[in-house]
Amino acid sequence: MESLKKKLVGIVGARNVIDNRDVLDSYSKDESFATPMKPWFVVKPENAAQVKELVKSARETETPLVPVSSGAPHFKGDTVPSVPQSVIVDLSGMNKIISVNRQQRMAVIEPGVTYDQLQEALAKEGMTLAVSLRPRANKSVLTSVLEMEPRLNCIHQFNYTEPLRCSEVTFGDGNQIYTGEAGNGPKDLQTQWDLGKWQVMSNGPNMMDFLRMVMQAQGSMGIVTWVSLKCELLPSIHKMYLVPAKKSVDLEDFLYKVVRVRFSDKQFIMNKACLASLLADSKEDIAKLKSELPAWVSAVGISGDILLPEMKVSAQEQDIADFAQDCGLQFLSSLPGATGEEVLARSIGTCEGKHWKQTAKGAFQDIFFITTLDKTSVFINAMYELAIEAGYPTEDLGVYIQPQHMGTSVHLEFSLPYDPENTKEAKMVKALYTVASEKMSSLGGYYARPYDIWANIQLKKDAQSYKVLQDLKGIFDPSNIMNTGKLTLK
Amino acid sequence: MALAREVYQAFEDIVGNRNISEDIGVCETYRSIPSQTSAHYGPSKEWTPLPQAVILPGSTEEVQNIVKICNKYGIEFKAGSTFWATMAYIGGDNAVQLDMRRMKSIEIDAKNMAAVVEPFAIAGTIQAEAMKVGLNVQIPGVGCSSSTLASSSGWAGFGPASIFMGANPENLLGAEWVLPNGEILRTGSLGSGDGWFCGEGPGPSTRGILRGIFGPAGSMGVCTKIATRLHPWPGPKQFRTYGKAPAYKADFGDNFKCYTLCYPDWESWARSVQYFHESDVLYIGHRQFNMFGRNLKAFMLNIITDPEKQLSDLPELLKDPEIQKHNDNMKHDYQVVIAGMTKRDMEYKEKAIDYILEQTGGWKHEMMLEKEKHDYALAYMTRLGHKNLNYVMCGAYEGTFGLSGNVWKTIQVVEEASAQKRKWETEHTCIAATGGDSAMGGVSSLGGGGATGWEFFTNFDSYELESVQGTSDMVDENQAFHNKYAFGPDFCRWNSDVRHVNGYSYTQEEHDEMFAKAPQPWIYAYQYKIREAVNPNHLCGSYLRTLSPGKLEGK
Ligand SMILES: Cc1cc2nc3c(=O)[nH]c(=O)nc-3n(C[C@H](O)[C@H](O)[C@H](O)COP(=O)(O)OP(=O)(O)OC[C@H]3O[C@@H](n4cnc5c(N)ncnc54)[C@H](O)[C@@H]3O)c2cc1C
Repeated sequence: MESLKKKLVGIVGARNVIDNRDVLDSYSKDESFATPMKPWFVVKPENAAQVKELVKSARETETPLVPVSSGAPHFKGDTVPSVPQSVIVDLSGMNKIISVNRQQRMAVIEPGVTYDQLQEALAKEGMTLAVSLRPRANKSVLTSVLEMEPRLNCIHQFNYTEPLRCSEVTFGDGNQIYTGEAGNGPKDLQTQWDLGKWQVMSNGPNMMDFLRMVMQAQGSMGIVTWVSLKCELLPSIHKMYLVPAKKSVDLEDFLYKVVRVRFSDKQFIMNKACLASLLADSKEDIAKLKSELPAWVSAVGISGDILLPEMKVSAQEQDIADFAQDCGLQFLSSLPGATGEEVLARSIGTCEGKHWKQTAKGAFQDIFFITTLDKTSVFINAMYELAIEAGYPTEDLGVYIQPQHMGTSVHLEFSLPYDPENTKEAKMVKALYTVASEKMSSLGGYYARPYDIWANIQLKKDAQSYKVLQDLKGIFDPSNIMNTGKLTLK
Repeated sequence: MALAREVYQAFEDIVGNRNISEDIGVCETYRSIPSQTSAHYGPSKEWTPLPQAVILPGSTEEVQNIVKICNKYGIEFKAGSTFWATMAYIGGDNAVQLDMRRMKSIEIDAKNMAAVVEPFAIAGTIQAEAMKVGLNVQIPGVGCSSSTLASSSGWAGFGPASIFMGANPENLLGAEWVLPNGEILRTGSLGSGDGWFCGEGPGPSTRGILRGIFGPAGSMGVCTKIATRLHPWPGPKQFRTYGKAPAYKADFGDNFKCYTLCYPDWESWARSVQYFHESDVLYIGHRQFNMFGRNLKAFMLNIITDPEKQLSDLPELLKDPEIQKHNDNMKHDYQVVIAGMTKRDMEYKEKAIDYILEQTGGWKHEMMLEKEKHDYALAYMTRLGHKNLNYVMCGAYEGTFGLSGNVWKTIQVVEEASAQKRKWETEHTCIAATGGDSAMGGVSSLGGGGATGWEFFTNFDSYELESVQGTSDMVDENQAFHNKYAFGPDFCRWNSDVRHVNGYSYTQEEHDEMFAKAPQPWIYAYQYKIREAVNPNHLCGSYLRTLSPGKLEGK
């Protein structure tokens, strides 16, 4: 242990190697049901060269590394070590916005950059980044895009990986490359910029696509030290409308219509439990809102930026209202308990401190996967049935449907808030989470991001993909040091 | 060197005797000039090697069995779907050619905007099927007779509509592959039998080893089925044309408009492109008719839109001052199509174009507003079915330069490149003199904008050695230009590092020598390692750029 410490200190300096008990404790667990495991050290590299040295040295000493970029709390078990003697590589201190280019609408950022930090810098240049639903204030933008957290706007998702474009990766074998277009040029950003290259194209760099080796990988292939991001123009008009319904299925045709013609700039469906949690700051307010809100709501954002914004927004408002009417639905700027403006502000804004889903009961467990919009009601019905069987209060069950990749699929997310102090309830939720995760898979739910128990469920269903993934792991992380134990069959 | 009888028999047992041939007459037709497409004519004097047999598999299972036999006997193989790419042709003597034409099914999921297609489902057919349900498919610049599967999983795949519909790798949802080792890999949600809707994951995406910026060019086995994303089509259910062949025209109604937008200079041209990259206004955007050259395009448009006219009318037309005026007016131009999803949307898009023109000092080209010319351009851009026109000038053409990527960088050098080509047009007789600038290509080669890609059409005579040699000499000079600006290989030299000029594959030693010098050599070493994992017998030629990792270790 001491010799390892010496090595780590040699790379990142003494102040960046932490073995304080409390700190190690805090990294040993998260808010999920993942089994806690204490790491040996936490190291805080300051640049990509140190990251590369850390990985090389870890290979020699066969030390498992767990990369972490966001601040706590974490919820998916992916940052909790799965094996003993791990070293946490905390990248949150690498938080430089390396470049913002208005002409190319590109930004390059380090792992520790947060949404608020980035949005502020982008806003100065008249830009913004497509966000996922109400990220935590200390959430790393880099990990959010790398782990493919769904964006609120699916219609600019030309590529599945949007808005992520290029990256710098140190793979588990200790080699460092740029991915995408950036991999074709000299390995120096300034030199590339001087040549007019702004890390725009994500595929590649050559016949293969190495970004796809690290995406959704939970740090099990390598450590990413910068990413380039495609930005959007900052809206000069930004509105959100709400379409209420009794059942989620009543909103399907409407959403299909909106997404198909590529109107709107945000679009999702939520049930009242989810929407109430998103909007309220206290348990009491959540309860109150739940009693006021309609059972299901589709939220539709409309924006205009520099090109005749009023005309664009007005045309889409009227057209989308017509779609709603065609489907026998109302297109409203506010509902009892919620205005479109509030929903917009809460969904794109960050939340300080705890996760907004913790407000209801103190803890929550999510189950999310990918399917198509027309199949969502099958999963929703099954989930409600399982909740009833388990004795879970169905009125607390949150549902969020996020179309992605231009509407060709949706991210379907169930949230099970529970009281962590109530052992019985926590146990029940854990059991429900396990049973429901299996059930969703058996109904065709696809765990593209297979965290925790989903890895086993998903990879078991697809032996050949698993085999190829193992081959790739052997190539990029031959000593199995990168977040060891994740994405493997048990 | 014929295949051993037992090997031939083994293949025949899989596909039946009607679907395999070693007839020299048949095999000869599966050779291509070793250019970068089989229809960009080089300039080259050689042909790719002769295959030992041509095999037409009819199912994934047949493909798998063929690949297993190839592994057993150490025979190289290569799949081609519509064979517009030279990369579809084999690169060695001990090789068989797979022609995927028997696999051509199309299934459309209208609701979720996707089509599940086999290799020989061509874009034109998919488009016709999609339009019946209000959808459309992205057709790469190669045209509507190309395989959508090939441009999604195999090679390239961007086109005039990419700004709205993305490039085909962006549209790829899921894919079924027979890997070179004979294993079947289904990417994303398909692998677990959950459907075709997501091509990524679980966890890291295995599709990453099957499709990069260009695609593996047949070097990673055979793709037997893909799902591709479709896009809204607010037009009629049938692509009806009018007019006499070959000057077909189409009128899709008031919610479609095709304009040629022109600008006073490159700076305002680029500003307009940036506006389009930053908005959702365009359905299609391409600098299309400049392929006839800056000096000739308006004249050529008068010929191609009129079925009574032909190339021999050009000298007479060139004397027409009215057309000359039109020609002068379209120096910095591109064609666009806007499609209104609703009436209001159309009004907005029309106004948005007017606004952009106002801001940039641009104009709509008057001649291209004439009904017949408008409808011709609209049909052309929507279907991309007029590829014959690439060849009318001299029988053959090649693309050179290939200014790609950052539009602001491109405009700084486009006049210099044009002048360089113009010098060859005027001082030599090897290529057609069309005006120097014959740059054509998309307003964006990426969904939503961000990067352009231009090739300069160069018309030459592939039957005249002097013309071939002269064109090749010109490309040498253009390559020096590319080197000066760090643009990488000239468009028509793209595959000079993956195949010898005589059409044969490189050896590993030759590739090691080349890629050890690459700015980021580990990329090629990883490609080597991945090839070793799925293609241990090296059966798919040298299109995959690889570097023996041993050359880097310790560095
Ligand atoms: C006139 C012309 C214009 C062009 N313009 C453009 C353009 O604007 N944009 C653009 O992107 N490209 C363009 N190209 C290049 C063109 O896209 C490619 O040639 C084309 O996408 C591939 O040709 P194909 O579709 O006929 O496929 P093929 O030639 O059949 O195959 C292309 C590659 O994919 C592989 N492949 C084919 N089928 C399979 C399979 N079933 N499994 C595994 N691998 C397979 C082949 O081995 C080959 O390497 C142009 C080409 C021509 C001739």
